[in-house]
Amino acid sequence: MTRIPDPAPIASPSPPRVEVIAREAPRGSAAARILAIARYLRRNPQLVLGVLLLGGLLAFSLIGRLFIEAGMAQPLVGPASLPPGAEHPLGTDPQGRDILAVMVYGSWLTLRMGFLAGLIGMAAGSALGFVAGYYGGWTDRIITWLVDVLLTVPAILFLVIISAMLSTALTSFGMAMIIALLAWRRPARQVRSQILVMRNAGYVEMARLSGASVPSIIFREIAPNLMPFLISSFIIAVAAAILAGIGLEAMGLGPQNEPTLGMTIYWIMKFSAFLLGMWWILPPVLLLIILFVALYLINAGLDELANPRLRKRG
Amino acid sequence: MTLLTVRDLRVDYFTTTRVIHAVRGASFDLAPAERVALVGESGSGKTTTALALMQMIDKPGRITGGNALLKGQDLLALDHEQMRRARLSRVAYIPQGAMNALNPVMRIRDQMLDGMADHGRRMGRAEARDFVAAALEGVGLPADVGTRYPHQLSGGMKQRACIAISIAMKPDLIIADEPTSALDVITQQQVMETLIAAQEQIGCGLLLIGHDMGLMAQATHRVIVMQDGLIAEDAPVDRIFTAPRHPYSRMLIESVPSLGDVPQDQVREPQKAGSAAVLAMPATGDAGPSELLRFDHVGKTFRGGFFGGGDVRALAPVSFALAADTPQIVSVVGQSGSGKTTLARLILGFESPSEGRILWRGQPVDAMGGRARAGYRQQVQAVFQDPYGSFNPFYQVDRTLKLPLVNFDIAAGTTDRRRRVEAACSAVGLNADEVLGRFPHELSGGQRQRLMVARALMIGPPLLVADEPVSMVDASLRMTILNNIRELKDQFGISVIYITHDLATAYHVSDYVLVMHQGRIVEAGPPRAVIKTPGHPYTRALVGAIPWPDPSRGWPPVGRSRAGWDAAPVIHGGYPGFVLESGLARAA
Amino acid sequence: MNYLIGLLRHVFMLLAVIWAAATLNFFLPQLAPKNPITEKLTVLGETSGISSAQIVELTAALNERFGLDRPIWERYLDYLGDIARFDFGQSISNYPARVSDLIAQAIPWTIGLMVSTTIISFVIGTLIGAWAAWRRDSVLLQAVSSMLMVFSAIPFYLIGLVLIYVFAVRLGWFPISGGYSIFSIPAPTWEFAREVLHHSVLPALSITIASIGIWAVGMRGMMVTVQGEDYMTFARARGLTNRRMFLNYGVRNAILPQVTALALFFGQIVTGAVLVEAVFGYPGMGLLLLSSITLFDYPTIYGIVFILIVTIAVSMLAVELIYPLLDPRVRR
Repeated sequence: MTRIPDPAPIASPSPPRVEVIAREAPRGSAAARILAIARYLRRNPQLVLGVLLLGGLLAFSLIGRLFIEAGMAQPLVGPASLPPGAEHPLGTDPQGRDILAVMVYGSWLTLRMGFLAGLIGMAAGSALGFVAGYYGGWTDRIITWLVDVLLTVPAILFLVIISAMLSTALTSFGMAMIIALLAWRRPARQVRSQILVMRNAGYVEMARLSGASVPSIIFREIAPNLMPFLISSFIIAVAAAILAGIGLEAMGLGPQNEPTLGMTIYWIMKFSAFLLGMWWILPPVLLLIILFVALYLINAGLDELANPRLRKRG
Repeated sequence: MTLLTVRDLRVDYFTTTRVIHAVRGASFDLAPAERVALVGESGSGKTTTALALMQMIDKPGRITGGNALLKGQDLLALDHEQMRRARLSRVAYIPQGAMNALNPVMRIRDQMLDGMADHGRRMGRAEARDFVAAALEGVGLPADVGTRYPHQLSGGMKQRACIAISIAMKPDLIIADEPTSALDVITQQQVMETLIAAQEQIGCGLLLIGHDMGLMAQATHRVIVMQDGLIAEDAPVDRIFTAPRHPYSRMLIESVPSLGDVPQDQVREPQKAGSAAVLAMPATGDAGPSELLRFDHVGKTFRGGFFGGGDVRALAPVSFALAADTPQIVSVVGQSGSGKTTLARLILGFESPSEGRILWRGQPVDAMGGRARAGYRQQVQAVFQDPYGSFNPFYQVDRTLKLPLVNFDIAAGTTDRRRRVEAACSAVGLNADEVLGRFPHELSGGQRQRLMVARALMIGPPLLVADEPVSMVDASLRMTILNNIRELKDQFGISVIYITHDLATAYHVSDYVLVMHQGRIVEAGPPRAVIKTPGHPYTRALVGAIPWPDPSRGWPPVGRSRAGWDAAPVIHGGYPGFVLESGLARAA
Repeated sequence: MNYLIGLLRHVFMLLAVIWAAATLNFFLPQLAPKNPITEKLTVLGETSGISSAQIVELTAALNERFGLDRPIWERYLDYLGDIARFDFGQSISNYPARVSDLIAQAIPWTIGLMVSTTIISFVIGTLIGAWAAWRRDSVLLQAVSSMLMVFSAIPFYLIGLVLIYVFAVRLGWFPISGGYSIFSIPAPTWEFAREVLHHSVLPALSITIASIGIWAVGMRGMMVTVQGEDYMTFARARGLTNRRMFLNYGVRNAILPQVTALALFFGQIVTGAVLVEAVFGYPGMGLLLLSSITLFDYPTIYGIVFILIVTIAVSMLAVELIYPLLDPRVRR
């Protein structure tokens, strides 16, 4: 048996354990923080692209309002089915609405509706999820059962019934409220399962041993750690609300007197637009596709931020 | 002649701005039929070294130099397909965390045969059946385990199945990466003996990776100590334990608590059973202020769900009393599922008992009002097992330390708080400037755990529950933290309930030891009595299975049978200040 | 034994869902501020020139038919009895056709479209997702899977509109709408079958394109998780072939949550398909629903919604029952 003399010889001089091969800013400095954020964003282009797309849409709608009057999006402001021209850059639809104006005001209505419904659903859902997850017991069982049953039911089918009942009196604000009625289910379930994990986290128990009150544990200990998750959950809720809202509108169940994007899709189908005039089909469809893609990209980017497990290696 | 010759092995990991040299030129040999230990703490490069031998270093890591000759052939020079063929047939690997090493949706049998099929050994039905049966019997498993799924096996059985699968093709070299780290000591000994028997039968080499010097003393011929990617020492097992040359080896060995060297001042002679001291406390009720904590027939049963799932009795009713005037460390020793953690959570008020009642200074805990409960909260503190989880990752560590000072009105004003925090840090041997203002992930596990002890120190509770405080900390810091905890008692008069799976550390720090098994206390007494003269069959098995860091002291043969583990508890006697009472019923 | 308990639990859940759906269906109109029958008949009157005297008469007749003068709980029980027999009364827009007959005509179209697109997209999406996770160095795979994932965010009917624009209007390869040509009569001939297939290509494609991405996202994420599992490391250390590790260790484990997700996605797919049918004028439940909405045909709307919910619940039950066959850990 050959033995290597002790201590083991090292064939060549060993380099230090850690070598810095690229320029690093000092730890904790502002430069380092900006560099780290920039480096992160380069690794997460979907977040950047999503935010840019959504910001672009918002800017389009907000800046457009300055140049185009709201009345332009109402029927009969121009001749029906006019192809794009100097007067109406994107043309008019068979009702004589200016398509560009409909896009400007419609995208605002859609974003507002999604934001409102998502916010209400998220707030109600998180509250229920917090209660169910933190207190457990029968409260938890009832809430969980309710959510489970309601989750099985496709929301839009119920919304169809409710909106059909209210259709003539519906505004886009009312629509947001109706969608919020069912938008709390998924956040409630997700927040609950997160709380169940965090409730027994060492630092939560440490806070209890440090005499922290329940509200303080929820808001100071748990909530900050839940933040990336809550934001991503909120984006999903907004996307789901917009999906439901546009779907209802496209079925002809949206507010009748407002220039929503979904209603435009409804008119496309109703007036067999493919046979009449092409120019007013593509703008709403593309606008909506951009909106959904933007929300998807933001969510995927946030997901990457919240779940480093899925991060690409290397 | 040598079986394996590793020369100047180098592995680097690349990040965007740095290169981490994980292994910096490792050279060692392994003789045929030799068992060699590769030990070191986390980050020492030991697992990386082993994985490199199988070309299993993933991006961003890369093998940047060296060679590894197995029977004259360089493993590192093999191409992808050659390396694949060499795995299993020539180099077998038994993974860390064997709990999840088996494919949950495949039968054990199929997981053994698919690997062999991929190495050109296909078998007929009957031949395969006999082969699997023989392979499983070779590791002490019944043949019908082959038809089972992993979730139907216990942890020990899974690890044996992994061994059977790994060595099915009689390799030249077995690499075992902490194969028993998730198992209790009794199962650990059984699995290690199986592994050694299999290795001796095949006549191959064994590279055993781990951090437990005690285990290495019992299982290997030679020990290679790694530190920071370098080999610090390479010596035969009997030499390294008697005369370690490298200071790091010495530190690793000394960090294992051993039996023989308990300083005289800690040894407290056991009281005779039934002596005056035991009865010094009133046996029932009538709790004076001298009594800190009393368990009055406290038991805990977790109810099954609405649909299916039976009740689980986590703790059989137990009664004991802890005196207020005698600071003491009481150890509760048991494996997972023994009820020790339930006991700790009951004391902390995180669970409420399903029977009996808990009294704090004579007051029933569940009947306490807001003010009394807040007081109880403050007076019973804890150090948890996981030093990573105990700190909220969102805040700097200072907050965790200052929170109780604010909530319990201990310190007035920011300066006073700061002063107290700094004093507590230095009391546990930490430099306040180095740790304060940092986020938890910037500190090591040992630093965090010491901060937890510092936190307990600042609150100064009469009772501290320490739940496995050192099991997730590197070996080099274990004794430091245990000493910190002992100082809490000696210098500050804090009583400690020390929860552990490790009888050896319990022996080292405690005044009184309770051994638990399946929710019952099976043995109780002063540490020396429990360990030197264990009375209960379970304790005997437990004490016997401890791997002592002393190669001359062999593992006693381990019995497979669990006969007598439900026998009546053995009580060696009391300790002034801790009284164990009746209620220790035999297992139902 | 546990399997039986699980089964009972799922059946119980199924009944609860159907009951909840039916109950909401019944009570929601009761909560409406106005009597839905009068309200809608008034609207009908305005548009179709029925006199107000006739409306009052019709209202009375309908009130009696629906028994609106009886106590609410009695009507509720009757209603539950009716829907247990799938009896939703008569359609208003297609009076006196029974709602159940209208649904029976439409349902094969919808089921045919749903089943085929779900199977196709599940298989393709799962494979692409698994492959994209396995071969993270392949630029092409990453690009394809990322694109599909972006498509998954777009509602089916918007993709449908784009497809119509490109393939039906611009290129003229496929018909713009309908389930078959308006000139032909449904008959069990090869000719007709080919025509149906030709008409169904675009609707099916718009559902498939979007849902492939849904499955690909889930599978890729799960596959990445599975690759980090200890059994994957052990499989590699045992020198298994790449193919075996991918199929028997990777896909086999990563597919389990996909199957569970299948149950959750049914609702999403069905509601999405409703609008796809509307966009393509495809003669299924979606088109029927949309035309009923336009004509305020409440019995038909309730009937369709109820049937869709039952279908979704039953499909979910089927998935729950199949799952234990795939995962030995949940069967005893």
